[in-house]
Amino acid sequence: MATPLLELKSVTKTFGGLTANNQISFKVQTGEIVGLIGPNGAGKTTLFNVISGYYAPSYGQILLNGKDISSKPPYELAGLGIGRTFQVVKPFPGLSVLENVLIASFLRYPKRSHAEKHAWDILELTGLADRAKVSAAGLTLAGRKRLEIGKALALEPTFLLLDEVVAGLNPTEVDLTIELILKLRDQGVTILIVEHIMRVIMRICDRLVVLNFGEKIAEGTPEEISNNPSVIEAYLGDSAA
Amino acid sequence: MRNKIISWSILAVIAMSVVPLFVSDTFVLRILTEAIMWIGLAIAFDVLAGYTGYLNFGHGAFFGIGAYSTAILMVQANWPFVMALFAGAVITALCALAAGFPTLRLRGAYFAIATWALSLAIQQLALILTITGGPDGMRLPALLNPLYFFYFMLGAVTTTFFLFWFLLEHAPFGLKLKAIREDELGAQSLGLNPTRLKIQAFVLSAVPTGILGGIYAYWITFIDPASTLSDLVSDQALVMVVFGGMGTLIGPVIGAVLIFAFKTVFWAYLSDFQLLYLIILGAVIALCVVFLPNGLWGTIITRNGGNGGMKKSRMIGPKRNQKNADKTQKLAGALKDCVQKEGGE
Repeated sequence: MATPLLELKSVTKTFGGLTANNQISFKVQTGEIVGLIGPNGAGKTTLFNVISGYYAPSYGQILLNGKDISSKPPYELAGLGIGRTFQVVKPFPGLSVLENVLIASFLRYPKRSHAEKHAWDILELTGLADRAKVSAAGLTLAGRKRLEIGKALALEPTFLLLDEVVAGLNPTEVDLTIELILKLRDQGVTILIVEHIMRVIMRICDRLVVLNFGEKIAEGTPEEISNNPSVIEAYLGDSAA
Repeated sequence: MRNKIISWSILAVIAMSVVPLFVSDTFVLRILTEAIMWIGLAIAFDVLAGYTGYLNFGHGAFFGIGAYSTAILMVQANWPFVMALFAGAVITALCALAAGFPTLRLRGAYFAIATWALSLAIQQLALILTITGGPDGMRLPALLNPLYFFYFMLGAVTTTFFLFWFLLEHAPFGLKLKAIREDELGAQSLGLNPTRLKIQAFVLSAVPTGILGGIYAYWITFIDPASTLSDLVSDQALVMVVFGGMGTLIGPVIGAVLIFAFKTVFWAYLSDFQLLYLIILGAVIALCVVFLPNGLWGTIITRNGGNGGMKKSRMIGPKRNQKNADKTQKLAGALKDCVQKEGGE
């Protein structure tokens, strides 16, 4: 098989005595959508922060296209093609929606005029064009989540980490976001997504990785995972399994 | 808007440069020179305070470092003024680099306290060293030509203004700094290296300040730790920037002109009421923070924006809400019908 786009080798992250991620290994192939699921506190967001460079792994390796990227800072990883969103969205509230996306566009388009054109394209894609001049603080939650995706997309990533971009949206908005994610996949972006809404996960993911108490407890297609006893146990307690 | 600001700025510079043709009074010229200097100090302060979100209470130290470097090189080494000034700028830049690396790791009040402490340390250093003249200060060779200094100051501040305009309002640099101000962690994931940007901003803010310090030293011909290295420069610049509007280029200019004019009136005509000056200034700043948090210029552009981009968005907002409200009403109506029907049956 070809070199996986992303490979985790026994990635471990400890905070003092707490092990948030313990010996996690899995691969993500180019063009896949992989879901990362698990109950609250399973270590999903920590793992995202490790992959995107916000935390250095305490142990283990992260390979992007076969190259070691462990402990590289987030801004270098952005240059290498990793885009990410934050569960608690991080818009620049004092700036307009356009400026928010523009800042991300500078990475690939250092010239302002080119960056501006690119930012408008992203706003069209994410459906934010009519709110371009509004301050980012004035967006609704749905709008802010779209802006979050838009900013990550403006980096023209080859690998996108989405952290709960669907949670808190109404059904129509959920469908629009799913559509957007599938469109991105078709354009060749590989996606790792954390999400609690199983309807979404089951619909879009090619494969799932399940975490519980910081450890990987299962990996497989959505069908395999939904029938896996240890996953059911993790979510519903052992009497259900 | 942007082009308008540039044309107005060019007009203002031209107007200022022909003033000496009509005004020969050295007193007025002196006031104008100092006003121009404060404009420069305020916009340099705003690079860090407004654009990057770091309140630098060591701003005055860079003014003093520039002043003392220039003075020492001119007096001890007999360098010509322009060369000494240039060297002073380089020394200020190096000091900013050295001070920036440790302090820019801190945020908010901690950064303010650290830079304030650093500036006090430098003031103490100037007080005990012999090369700086200690508390007695230094006397520079006098050049009694107010016009020379007027134009020198005007040139330096104009250059700074247009350089800042290009870097902060035109080039991506300004937006990147604002991203750091708004959310440093979030900015990192967009490919921005906060440490590098902050250091660049720090140096960019310090160098013009040092240059103005050097010009000031030669102009006033006497410097001592109390006049160039006290908190005064930082405090005054902060007040001007907050009053005028943080994070803009025009705001600090307006703030500097108004506050300096106010100060001059008190200093020249109401010197018996010096105490009142600080009381009134304090009250104005307190009121400004409460009622005009964006400063004068910030408030004006938000209003104007309301007639352009902002209003458009407001039009879109309520319309959409209206649509939703209609939908909700229809839904409620339909529900009512259902309930009534069921009740009827």
